Amino acid sequence: MSEPSIFFEDVNEKQGTFHRRIFLMGGVTALGIFALGGQLALLQIVQGGKYKRLSAANQFNFRVVPPPRGKILDRNGNVIAGNRPSFRVLIIRNEIDDLDDTLDQISYVLPQVQDNRRRIVRDINQSQRFVPTVVAADLTWEEFSRVNLFAAEIPGVQAVMDEIRVYHYGGAFSHVVGYVSKISEKDLEAEGENPDPLLLHPGFRIGKQGVEKAFDKQLRGVAGAQKIEVNARGNIVAEDPDGTRPPTPGEDITLTLDAEVQARALEVFEQDSGSAVLLNIHTGEILCMVSAPSFDPNLFVSGISSKAYKLLNEYERRPLLDKAIGSTFAPGSTFKMATALSFLDAGVDPSERVVCRGSYRFGNRTFRCHGVHGSVDMRHALKFSCDTYFYHICNRAGVDRIAATAHKLGLGELFDLEIEGQKSGLVPTTEWKRTYFDGTKGRPKDPKWHPGETLSVAIGQGYTTVSALQLAVYVSRIANGGKAVTPHLIKKIGAVDTDFDFKPLGIPPEHIQIVRDGMEMVSNDADGTAFRNSQLNLGDMKMAGKTGTAQVINYDRAGTRKATQWKNKDHGLFVCYAPVDNPRYAMAVIVQHGIAGGRFAAPKAREIMKVALLKDPELQARIVAPPPPEPVEAAETAPPEVESTEVAPESNEYIPPVP
Amino acid sequence: MAESAMTRRGERERYDIKLLQVDWGFALVLSLIAGIGVLVLYSVGGMSWEPWAYNHVLRFGLCFLFMIVLALVDLRWWMLLAYPAYGVSLLLLVAVELVGDVRMGAQRWLEIGSFSMQPSEFMKLSIVMALARWYHEAGTKDAVLSWKLLIPFTMIMAPVLLVAHQPDLGTAMLILLTGITVMIVAGLDWRIIGTAAVGGAVAIPFFVLFVMHDYQRKRVLTFLNPEADPSGDGYHILQSKIAIGSGGLLGKGLGLGSQSQLSFLPEKHTDFILAAVGEELGFLGAFTVFALYALAVFMALRIASLSHSHFGRLAAAGVTATFALYVLINGAMVMGLAPVVGVPQPLLSYGGSVMTTVMIGFGLVMGVKVHRYQELPRTQSFLSHFE
Repeated sequence: MSEPSIFFEDVNEKQGTFHRRIFLMGGVTALGIFALGGQLALLQIVQGGKYKRLSAANQFNFRVVPPPRGKILDRNGNVIAGNRPSFRVLIIRNEIDDLDDTLDQISYVLPQVQDNRRRIVRDINQSQRFVPTVVAADLTWEEFSRVNLFAAEIPGVQAVMDEIRVYHYGGAFSHVVGYVSKISEKDLEAEGENPDPLLLHPGFRIGKQGVEKAFDKQLRGVAGAQKIEVNARGNIVAEDPDGTRPPTPGEDITLTLDAEVQARALEVFEQDSGSAVLLNIHTGEILCMVSAPSFDPNLFVSGISSKAYKLLNEYERRPLLDKAIGSTFAPGSTFKMATALSFLDAGVDPSERVVCRGSYRFGNRTFRCHGVHGSVDMRHALKFSCDTYFYHICNRAGVDRIAATAHKLGLGELFDLEIEGQKSGLVPTTEWKRTYFDGTKGRPKDPKWHPGETLSVAIGQGYTTVSALQLAVYVSRIANGGKAVTPHLIKKIGAVDTDFDFKPLGIPPEHIQIVRDGMEMVSNDADGTAFRNSQLNLGDMKMAGKTGTAQVINYDRAGTRKATQWKNKDHGLFVCYAPVDNPRYAMAVIVQHGIAGGRFAAPKAREIMKVALLKDPELQARIVAPPPPEPVEAAETAPPEVESTEVAPESNEYIPPVP
Repeated sequence: MAESAMTRRGERERYDIKLLQVDWGFALVLSLIAGIGVLVLYSVGGMSWEPWAYNHVLRFGLCFLFMIVLALVDLRWWMLLAYPAYGVSLLLLVAVELVGDVRMGAQRWLEIGSFSMQPSEFMKLSIVMALARWYHEAGTKDAVLSWKLLIPFTMIMAPVLLVAHQPDLGTAMLILLTGITVMIVAGLDWRIIGTAAVGGAVAIPFFVLFVMHDYQRKRVLTFLNPEADPSGDGYHILQSKIAIGSGGLLGKGLGLGSQSQLSFLPEKHTDFILAAVGEELGFLGAFTVFALYALAVFMALRIASLSHSHFGRLAAAGVTATFALYVLINGAMVMGLAPVVGVPQPLLSYGGSVMTTVMIGFGLVMGVKVHRYQELPRTQSFLSHFE
């Protein structure tokens, strides 16, 4: 080194520099602490108010409190669709770092989570990150407490108790009342721009079918809000009773349906496929509207497994389909009252006789009757369901007149029913044929109506299709003397009889009396097609009906009159009303592929009708205290099974000479 | 009597004399800070001694006793151990690099049997001791402007790079700034300081953009604009500011801070404990804490200036620098003035390793006070001066 080292090596020089620099260091530290103190004052004193608000916003949260969904009641106040408490576990994706890890932790307390893991992961990935997803529902109280104890430790997991829809009658009302289910993207879009926050609530269920869908807005109610104190994980620490607005429960809806009749109806169908509709002929109140086989709507509330859904959907007898209003069938011989009324309208004398020899030759085709009935007039044609009679006369009335009468009576019509899903079916006319078979859309060009086709229409075959509801309305309009009653499902509270003052259809009462006579003979003459299966055994109360068997395949082409496969067998139909002397109820039963109406549909109709009659207070009085029997003139001419003789003298008039 | 006894060589070796010379006022200030820590840990633990407050008391008690014991150790031992301690720390850092355990995404821990340790914690102290010894032995001119300055510079940069590579940027920065502070107080030329400051200012953006890991860069960017992502990375900063700000002048009261009690405040018992202090004890409480920290720093710096040996001066100043940097960086971080780097508040925060490091350091500072009149030889053969 060139410099004189003695100066620079001086200890005091080192110390002096150090002292100056350490003073500087103290100063810098002081400056730093001073800056921190300044920032502290800025945050706590200057901006304190702002941060106090933010802190409160952190601490308090508003939670949507779902309203209890309105109940659906039957006409007597029995709860068809109600609510029950449900314990569930939810996951909020936004608050979870590792989903797998969280699910592992939950499945430690709830093993069932492990089983449904794939579905849960799919659900979570499909929903928005801040929307809670249900991972387990319907926990027992024990499981629920276990989760509650444990969930507080897992971020993003909540154990909650809320209400869930329950259908008390199993499958009896599945189609008409419908069911609620998880809201879909499509439902959400349908709600418009600003959907009710309630819709995003994980417990929310929207009506998907039937009454639940049609009256969803009324049943839903208005969500409440609850002010809660939460911690950083969103777990509730405390509730603030002052900041709470209670939810408005949904409205209850009372239906015209009668739970007992409905339940009995599903019961009598057993394994059979079909539907039954029972109406009050004066008011149009639907007491029973059942479609069989049915399904358990409760399955859809918590989410049906795709396997179970597939089974329901692919089952040959179509449990998911509403066969009461959403399926149409050829009416078969149940259509003959409409044909007969059109004959009368065309001026046909009801006493005109036609001889039935088992078939009818028209042009170069032979139309077969199901029996050899000999000489029959109109009433007996109905009683024996003789096809030959109708083949013979139908072209005098013409297909358009038949169709006009059928439409008047409600066939082929859509009614102003409260729920969706009606199918109109078809009652063909020459006009329809002209426009339908115009050679487009793969249909043959055949616009002309052939008189032979009228023969098929006259006996309810051919192009004709109707629904069970239409058949019930049709019989009601016959039974109430030609008034344009329309069906409805929602009970009008405080309604009086004048509310049900339906307009007359313009069919002369004497015409209607003739077909009613025919129907009465079907059920109450020993040789009527439904005599055996129409006996109510309710004293003097009788039923009048009409059977129908609708062909499904063309037997001529099949070469045999016996179908071996279920799906090829004939449909069995039966329409009826009761009591005969003062009609109140009308009903239609369709047994899909039920072979024959008299044998398979009529007994079902009888059983269902019996329940309805027994429940009617006025009719009940009649059964409990029957009026004193009048002096009997032509006693015991009625069939021996019939205990009472009240109606027998009347029907005596029409006993025809046996052919 | 005591002062005169200190100047006499035979007298000042006596342990009863040494005990009297321990700076008990300084010890009281440290205890007060730790005491506030216990109070707040009791509160954020749900008004309970478990799980943190009790352990904190126990740890501080043990460290306090250790500090007093260390204060009685002859400075020559500290000096003797300076280079070996530095060497071992450096070797451990290399070992961590090779076989270390990866925890929370960074390689910081070394497992020896069932005992795990963080060598970077030892390095904070041994770098100070090693630099103090080097400057003690170097000439005055060497400390100001000389090629020999490359030696202390290398001594600093080796551990800094190793720790930064783990990656633990907070600790690396702490070691770097401590080393630079020691170099500056040792008399570094202002021209070098100025050039380095300008160079550093220019280099930082490049460093952030090209050298940092993604998560580190994210933290820095979040710091610059915390409101951009209030539920993600900005969450910690925002919640901490809300906690402090909502405390107001007098605070919400112990156990009543909604931010700290309801877990909105992250790491409320460790890195962000100052926010809990601010929320529950208010401006007055938090300011008192800062005042106590400032007092501790000034008392330690005064001790440094009293020492007759250059080793003692620089060692005490270096330890104080580490301490002050902890306080300033954590304070700035908690109040949203610096990125979240994972530096705790010494003595206040719950946690063993930082408490141990800081208290061993203060043991050295106390030792400098007790042995302030001791003159240490400059030569390598100073060991011959031991009896």
